[in-house]
Amino acid sequence: MKNYEIMAIVQNSLDKKAAEKFCQDAILERIKKAKGKITFEDFWGERGFAYKINKMKWGSYFVARFEIDPAALLTIKTELNIENDLVRFLITSVDKNTTPSRKYADMKSEYEAQEKAMMDEKDAVKNPKKENVKPEKLTTVVKKDKVDIEKTKESPKESSKDELDKKLDDIISESSQEL
Amino acid sequence: MPPKPKKYICIFCKNGTKHIDYKDPKLLAGFITYYRSIQSRFHTGNCLKHQKMIASAIKKARQMALMPSVRYESK
Repeated sequence: MKNYEIMAIVQNSLDKKAAEKFCQDAILERIKKAKGKITFEDFWGERGFAYKINKMKWGSYFVARFEIDPAALLTIKTELNIENDLVRFLITSVDKNTTPSRKYADMKSEYEAQEKAMMDEKDAVKNPKKENVKPEKLTTVVKKDKVDIEKTKESPKESSKDELDKKLDDIISESSQEL
Repeated sequence: MPPKPKKYICIFCKNGTKHIDYKDPKLLAGFITYYRSIQSRFHTGNCLKHQKMIASAIKKARQMALMPSVRYESK
């Protein structure tokens, strides 16, 4: 018994679900029939090719790991070569200890997190902390404006009060003189 | 005396990697040239053991259309 890994590309004429079903019917069940053990399986989904294969630009990928006798693997290879919906497949021998199995979704999320960290560092270098200070200043300016407006509103009232006081004083004084 | 040339250290020896996977083309993309051919050991600074691993991984990735082998593909 030896450890192997298979990667297969399925035609893009099949849907996602149909491709996943095809992989399990064509590949995994054949391994099970030949007394093999499946240790890991991962359906990547649709993915673009780096170059055109038979005028196709994209296909769906599938990866699995299994244990099987090397003699039984030869018959599986010949059977897989006849399949029409299988575009390509690659079988490699694998050590369990040196190469841990990673899922494609986890790999993607790791790279996205790394890119985000890089972008954040770049942003921090380009414009450090100036943006955080600006809004505070704006608020203070606005407050001052408000105060100014209030003062301007209050000032005519005060003047009117003064005028009234003066008028009253005048009237009182006149009245006192008359008396 | 002229200054000593810069000594390159293998990145994989530093991290202690024993096997390079052909399934992550983003890692392998750092070891190819502008025209998508495999970069030599002189420029990457890898040790011979890991350079051979990378070369075999890139060749496997090219078979499964994860990586290109030419920059400009004919239509």
